[in-house]
Amino acid sequence: MKTRLLLLLSLVLLLGVATACVAPQAPAGQPVEVTKIVEKPVAKQIVIYNSYMSDPAPREADEALVKMFMEQNPDIEVVHSTVAHEDFKQAIRAYLTASTPPDVLTWFAGNRARFFIDKGLIMDISDVWEEQGWNETYPAGFRALSTVDGKQYFLPASWYWWAVYYSKSTFEKYGLQEPQTWEEFLQVCETLKANGVTPLTIGTKYRWTAAAWFDYLNMRVNGPEFHINLMLGKERYDDPRVKKVFTDYWAPLIANGYFIENPAAYSWSEAIPFMANGEAAMYLMGDFIRDSYPQEQVDDLGFFRFPIIDPNVPVGEDAPTDGWFIAAKAQHPEAAKKLLAFFGSKEAQQYMADTLGRLPTNMEVDTSNFTDAQRQGLDLIQKADFVAQFYDRDTTPEMADVGMNGFMEFWDNPDSIDDILARLEAKRAELFGE
Amino acid sequence: MSVKKTFLSPWRSLLFFVILLATLVWLLPFVSAILTSMRSNDDIITRGFLALPRQISFNSYKVAWTRGGLSHYLPNSFIITIPSLVLTLILSSLSAYALARFRFRGNRLFLYMYVGGMMLPFQVLLLPVFRLTDALGLYDTYWGLIAFHTAFQLGFCTFLLRNYMRTVPGEILEAARIDGCSELRIWAQIMMPLTLPAIAALATLEFTWIFNDYLLAIVLLRTDALKPVTAGLATLQGQYVTDWTVIVAGALLATIPTVLVFLFLQRYFIEGLTLGTGK
Repeated sequence: MKTRLLLLLSLVLLLGVATACVAPQAPAGQPVEVTKIVEKPVAKQIVIYNSYMSDPAPREADEALVKMFMEQNPDIEVVHSTVAHEDFKQAIRAYLTASTPPDVLTWFAGNRARFFIDKGLIMDISDVWEEQGWNETYPAGFRALSTVDGKQYFLPASWYWWAVYYSKSTFEKYGLQEPQTWEEFLQVCETLKANGVTPLTIGTKYRWTAAAWFDYLNMRVNGPEFHINLMLGKERYDDPRVKKVFTDYWAPLIANGYFIENPAAYSWSEAIPFMANGEAAMYLMGDFIRDSYPQEQVDDLGFFRFPIIDPNVPVGEDAPTDGWFIAAKAQHPEAAKKLLAFFGSKEAQQYMADTLGRLPTNMEVDTSNFTDAQRQGLDLIQKADFVAQFYDRDTTPEMADVGMNGFMEFWDNPDSIDDILARLEAKRAELFGE
Repeated sequence: MSVKKTFLSPWRSLLFFVILLATLVWLLPFVSAILTSMRSNDDIITRGFLALPRQISFNSYKVAWTRGGLSHYLPNSFIITIPSLVLTLILSSLSAYALARFRFRGNRLFLYMYVGGMMLPFQVLLLPVFRLTDALGLYDTYWGLIAFHTAFQLGFCTFLLRNYMRTVPGEILEAARIDGCSELRIWAQIMMPLTLPAIAALATLEFTWIFNDYLLAIVLLRTDALKPVTAGLATLQGQYVTDWTVIVAGALLATIPTVLVFLFLQRYFIEGLTLGTGK
């Protein structure tokens, strides 16, 4: 027995040492590639690309884009890594401060990108904007979103809209029309409730779904200008106008039982079945709901603009925009710029729009093949007076965290709103210095 | 006959019932994982996690292996785990031998340092570990991960082996020493074989720990091609949509090596326990 054990142990030892020695240290160390490089006199350029597109459909499209780029540029090798979305949001700080950061990264436009631009971690790509003619082919709004002190740092690539999604069949069953105003909306809720259907489904396990309600109610009641100033820390959370949003509009919805019970028990997608089964009828959500809705029922999904509360207030919408940037310390800036130029090109944007149903930023993209939903969404945003990103993208991450905790607390205990807003205000004052 | 008799006893049958119930409860998550891996994502969204599959399909396993990237994550896991395991065991048995058998100034201090290091929550050290790997040029390499796995496991292994080695009768070592055997040889030819049961047990444990590590892998690696299976599978979690069936199928496939290691080493484990009792 002893000798057998010893034999086994030495075998494991040998194996361990062998694998350690064989283990390649650099990526792309497969023998096939090595011979390829040897055959060609010119070494392949490398560009490292880390992406957070980890949802199944966008991930496939992302991989297809990289493949298209490599086919067009045989001299460039893209080392592409997909990282789980939530992990990426944490890991990006490590990526960007490491001495060898990835060259190209996916990220959120707006305040989230600004955070890294201000720290000097994102490369100025004004030259790419200039060369590719993006200054003309991208709408001024998106250009402004990418610009800090007159220089472009970011490539906004795709965006989607938020709206109130509803089940067409449920609406038909009770003879309901898409509500335009708040009164009509409340009427719809009342009718549904009377018929034993919960008007609104929501899963608030990860909190941001509740933030969407705050965004919209605040924009509809107080106007987008006040909303964005609140996000930027220029308005106070204990302002009576903010309180009105909670007490006059949000609280009645909860008190009347218009939302499903125990929303905090569900993630956003776990709350979908209520709508698909006909137990609930509406969901304030981004267009990605389409990817998760049961495939055979997607055609039953309609959407309308969040109802107007005060007709005198300009219309604001949430339309989160994602895109790409190059790390300031990128090791392969030339190849990285080529990859970025490709991502922003009409061809790549067209591909993303056609396969994913998201909306492109490049105005040259041919919209004739768009689905009805895409057209309706585009129309929704074009008619808006102001486009916000989203609560947790428009304000700083710390503020968003405290804010969303506050929304959850309000949901459980609407009477404590004064305490909650006082706490949010204290945090705002601390973060934005007052 | 005797089997029948045991079943007739009321206490026995009650005990049997309770154990059966506990087993079923314990098996529930595992069974539901297997069921989930055979369903489709649409089915899960419409009918929830705990439901019988409407259609059985093994497609998720295929997808996990190919598109899910298990075919390269799994080898990576071994490339990281095996050297870490070997290094940990060799180094810790050496230090444990020294701490267990040599009298020198600071012996206790070293031991307490090891134990103290064990108590330190690893998450606290993430940032310094990241900075250090980056400074050493080990960031985003297998070696960075192997080095830190080894370093972090060293404390626990040394502590455990040191205590085990102290139970080995000192006379055996004395005898070897009188015969002029070098310390290294005593370690290799006397101490190690006597400690094998402990090492086998430790190897099983450590294999599972290192194999299942997630945090170090996502902090010290950024290239997909180097990631072990834990970090690799996580990339299937999306911002909005998560490919549950594929993740679960992949996770089930990824547990196979751990289970195999455990089953295989467990045999030696029990043999090891009875080792030397007859002498």
